[in-house]
Amino acid sequence: MTEAAERSDVLLEVRDVTMKFTKYEVGVDSLKELVVRAFRGDLKREKFVCLEHIDFTVHRGEAVALIGRNGVGKSTLLKIVSGILKPTEGYAKAYGRISPLLQLGAGFDGNATGMENIYLNAAILGYTKKEIDEKLDNILEFAELGDFIYSPVKTYSSGMLARLGFSIAINMDSEIMLIDEILAVGDIAFQQKCYKKLEELRAKGLTFLIVSHSDVVESLCDRAIWIERGHMIADGDVKSIFERYKQSMMQPAQ
Amino acid sequence: MKKENAMTRRPTQQMYLLRLLVRRNIKNQYYRSFIGILWTVLNPLLNMAVMAFVFINLFGSEGIALDYPVYVLSGNIIFGIMRASTTGSLPCLVEQQDMLQKTNVSIGLFPTANAFSALVTFGFSFIALLIVMLFRWFAGAYVFTWQIILTVVLLPSIMLFSLGLSYFLSALYVFFRDLRHIYSVILTLWTYLTPLFYTIDALKNATLERFMNLNPMYHYVNYFRDLLIGTIPSAEAHIVCYGFGIAMFIIGYAFLSAVRNQIAARL
Repeated sequence: MTEAAERSDVLLEVRDVTMKFTKYEVGVDSLKELVVRAFRGDLKREKFVCLEHIDFTVHRGEAVALIGRNGVGKSTLLKIVSGILKPTEGYAKAYGRISPLLQLGAGFDGNATGMENIYLNAAILGYTKKEIDEKLDNILEFAELGDFIYSPVKTYSSGMLARLGFSIAINMDSEIMLIDEILAVGDIAFQQKCYKKLEELRAKGLTFLIVSHSDVVESLCDRAIWIERGHMIADGDVKSIFERYKQSMMQPAQ
Repeated sequence: MKKENAMTRRPTQQMYLLRLLVRRNIKNQYYRSFIGILWTVLNPLLNMAVMAFVFINLFGSEGIALDYPVYVLSGNIIFGIMRASTTGSLPCLVEQQDMLQKTNVSIGLFPTANAFSALVTFGFSFIALLIVMLFRWFAGAYVFTWQIILTVVLLPSIMLFSLGLSYFLSALYVFFRDLRHIYSVILTLWTYLTPLFYTIDALKNATLERFMNLNPMYHYVNYFRDLLIGTIPSAEAHIVCYGFGIAMFIIGYAFLSAVRNQIAARL
């Protein structure tokens, strides 16, 4: 019974996730290189453990920061959480819709107009035309792009791109929002509007999973998960973990 | 009730996304060029004019049952389905990587969209072909035949082939980024190894002729030209065309499915 009560509250379960890659010792990413190395017998494969025994649960309304140095597997973890990548062991299960907040302008087609990009982006995120039509007014209102919405996206300034991307992401009715690096673009007025909106959404019960290695997330999140070399080092209150994280950053890497 | 909804929702949604992607491809290809949609018809016409002009003098048109301009254009627009589909698909997953890194969308849709936009382009080119035929008909060099309608029997087979190859290449490109250069060389070679401007008899080489049977595009092009001449291709031609198509589709799809996780890791 307690488990059932817990279930309704759990939005994301990551259970004992281990991710191993088999890769060539020297990164081979061209056919030429592969052929040349194969002839020289210079192709050693190695197992590379990216994540090991990652285990956590996210409840409704939480804002969790994933912190850690570059290349410790945070992005891989996000891919596993969003169901794109299947882990070698363990599983990740989301009990709700996930939508990503993409980096500036990512995923937009420069030649298409803002309007076309709204439909294309939302369709890739898994929405039908009818559902997008319903959300359109809200998206347009929040983006404040005026008639620019009918201009090709390649003519947009970075602030306008950020507004459009953000506006699409927050208007998708998802339960979990994945944010890879918090946005630091757009004018201050719009940034404040974004933070206000994010807090508003949180109050409504939206859950955040934010990847970052900066402390901007400190104010937005209440929980942090620290990953180092594929292992979870700490999971808990954002303030204290960030304190420890910063201290370890100060020390030269062993 | 709700379950039923969920079951029809996904296919409808995917079809909608596919439509959007195809429309985007077509727009990026043509609509935004300065003479707009006219270019879609004009482009193959001009190409044909150049090729007819060059090759009619080079190879001569003796031994071709079909009027030479029609012969050249018909070969090229059929080959063009495969060419446009594969060259568009090759980088399509990598180009979408920002989106694919974070969204659980079926990646097969992107090469599929390229194959279908190639089919749409074929539709426009077909209009160009009809225009050329009309001109040649006035000149008394070409006679229309009803068998041209049977093109709809050919199209699924070449689409299967293009889809399969597009799946395969788009997946492979994720791992080998130099494939773009290699493939453009292969494609050029393939263009010349397919009798688009010349006839197979003009080669006067029995080994090459036998070798040609291994070239799927040869069979698709031949099938199409048979229709334009007014003959119905043999049962064997159907088996060969669909055999290549289905086999390639299965290979491509199986490959894309098999490396799906590695693609996700690589993007």
